[in-house]
Amino acid sequence: MTDLATRASTRVVTSPGGRRRLNGGGPRAGTITAFLIPFFLPFVLFYLVPVGYALWQSFRAVHRTGGQYGTSYTSFGGFEQYQKVFENTEFWSSIGRIGLFGVVQVPVMLFVALIMALLLDTPLLKLKSVFRMTAFMPYAVPGVIAAIMWSYLYSPQLSPVVDLLNGIGLDPDFLGPGAVLWSAANISTWLWTGYNMLIMYSALQSIPQELYEAAKLDGASNWAIAWRVKVPIIAPSIVLTTVFSIIGTLQLYAEPAVLRQISSNISSTFTPNMLAYAVASGNNYQQAAAISVVIAVITFVLSFGFMRLTSKRAGL
Amino acid sequence: MSNTVTRIRLAVVAAAAGVLVLAGCSSSDSSGNSSAASCEPAKGKVTLQYWNTVPGMDDVVALWNKKNPDIQVETKNISNDQYGTLGNALKADKAPDLAQVGYDQLPNLRTQNAFVDASDCSAATKAKSAFVPWTWSQASFGDTGVFALPQDTGPMALYVRSDIFKKHDVAVPKTWDEYAVAAEKLHKADPDLDITFFDPNNAEWFNGLIWQNKAKMYGYSGDKWHVTVASDESKQVAEYWQKLIAGKLVRTDLANGSTQMYAAYQKDQIASYVGAAWGYSMFRDNLPKQAGKWSIVPMPTWGANGASGDWGGSTVAFMKGGKHLYESVKFNTWLNTDPEALALENKLGGLYPAANAGLQLPALSKGVPYYNNEKIFDVFADSSKDIDTSFTWGPTQKTVNLALQDAMAKAAGGDGTLTDALTAAQNAALKSMKDQAIPVTAGK
Repeated sequence: MTDLATRASTRVVTSPGGRRRLNGGGPRAGTITAFLIPFFLPFVLFYLVPVGYALWQSFRAVHRTGGQYGTSYTSFGGFEQYQKVFENTEFWSSIGRIGLFGVVQVPVMLFVALIMALLLDTPLLKLKSVFRMTAFMPYAVPGVIAAIMWSYLYSPQLSPVVDLLNGIGLDPDFLGPGAVLWSAANISTWLWTGYNMLIMYSALQSIPQELYEAAKLDGASNWAIAWRVKVPIIAPSIVLTTVFSIIGTLQLYAEPAVLRQISSNISSTFTPNMLAYAVASGNNYQQAAAISVVIAVITFVLSFGFMRLTSKRAGL
Repeated sequence: MSNTVTRIRLAVVAAAAGVLVLAGCSSSDSSGNSSAASCEPAKGKVTLQYWNTVPGMDDVVALWNKKNPDIQVETKNISNDQYGTLGNALKADKAPDLAQVGYDQLPNLRTQNAFVDASDCSAATKAKSAFVPWTWSQASFGDTGVFALPQDTGPMALYVRSDIFKKHDVAVPKTWDEYAVAAEKLHKADPDLDITFFDPNNAEWFNGLIWQNKAKMYGYSGDKWHVTVASDESKQVAEYWQKLIAGKLVRTDLANGSTQMYAAYQKDQIASYVGAAWGYSMFRDNLPKQAGKWSIVPMPTWGANGASGDWGGSTVAFMKGGKHLYESVKFNTWLNTDPEALALENKLGGLYPAANAGLQLPALSKGVPYYNNEKIFDVFADSSKDIDTSFTWGPTQKTVNLALQDAMAKAAGGDGTLTDALTAAQNAALKSMKDQAIPVTAGK
């Protein structure tokens, strides 16, 4: 938000017209405020306040007056909740699990998205709009619905796919202990590849044609143009989709939560978000808040760390 | 310049809003006393809020509203995330007058100061004799007040595919030992057939099984809770099912009530179901083609010990948000003891009443066509009488159930045993109670 605001204000200052308008004084500022309120009010109410509330909760601890059930109250508890998060082995194994998930799923998904975007960008492909629509369609399906749909395809009792594979002598167990993480990864990939492809494709569209002509004159093949010209130029959007995917991975919830209903190989603490939910549903709001804050910090560190790491090479 | 001013102004507004919200929360946190409320009738017309999860409850309430113009009741269905909705409403000081709460979640909500004590209303205390004893004991926390009135129960029994047992010449088992023998015989006769399934994601069901074996999960004495989730009685049940799982005599890949479960029953792959009273409509409604093939018999027993178990069931609790206790008691009593209301709830919502009067309902003493016109409710009534009345739930039952399920699932997958699962649940109980500042110790 500050980023956008800074950028907007720089723009106003550098353009001469903007300067004149600003010098105009009070009523204009009022207009600007009026236009900003529809954004800032929900932003404060539904973003800043909940974040502040979670932070505040994470520093509280429950106490209780005597008796079998007692009366509970909370007071300042310092870093007690955070200490519990760091000592919680379930938390770290859930982080490890989605770490593995991300390390495999994100590169696979983005590689497929990149290939699809490059294919879309070649003059060779016919029926482009149909291909683009088909690839993007899964994104229009809500995550929970997609997970329910796939859970039918995975379920040995109901799935035509499993029946088909059984027919040719294969006996797949999509919900088994080793496979279920990748079955969830498959749902995410199915959902998000088209979306990422579209971001990369729009970046490809903005490359001036002259570049390709120059490359062709230099004797570059289509393959070389794709790899040596197109990919480096759209590197910033690849970085962007990677950051989105890292954030998405750390927030993984819907897919495993739905699969959990048909597979006993997904525990209630399978992903960090599921753990936070399980803890909150046990009324331990303070602990759940601390878990959420830690997840947020890890997400922040990983996504910004990745940006910094790649910013120079990607030319950001 | 003015841009900066605007931003500062907004930041101030944001901070002020935040402080207001935080201040609101801190005050609500400290004023959490659940003292007994007085029982004065209101002057004039009253509107009560009643949140529930029972299908058809709108019609039952409409009947009440027609008869009681001065006490109008508004319902809200909270089937989707029942306890999340209640917990949030309590935190926001927006709890209704009355809400449906399962027996196993009553202590949990009581430790969150969720209820008002209705014992100042004579109508509430007098209702005791109207209910099956164990249900009253749980809703009144062993007579320490009246926090809820029992609504329905889930006395357990064995659902049997008599035709499959007959076909393979296997006698319907009366004890758990006989059940294990029958499991082996059926599986031997047809490798695609199992006697039942063990649902690793269903702690409530497993709790019903250990309740039957007179296990006590919790006790309270000397100002401390005593956690005995992993008692000898529970371990006996765990070891029994562990043997069936290890011998591949029961399936572990089905969830209760899932499409997959019905598909397996549809394909005649499973011969019986260890279920509760409210389950009778599940089979009737989801497997209509199997009409006449099912019977309901008493749950297998542990040797000569004829006790039965309970799975599920609910109360209607007096919530902290209530301002009209007198009227709430009046409506709640009618809802859960009036024969007309009970008959309607049984018909529309499949509820098996907790009130003694409910057991004599005409609808519950007739034969049920789907089950060969057998008087199946007689079986449940007998089961209901044999349920251990002193069983209590813990104040962090939800967390304990989740831990039990996670570990049961591991055991079903060959990683550890069901006995380990009980230990995991025991540890989760101790940890979660400490987190809630509840004095607790392991063992008796």
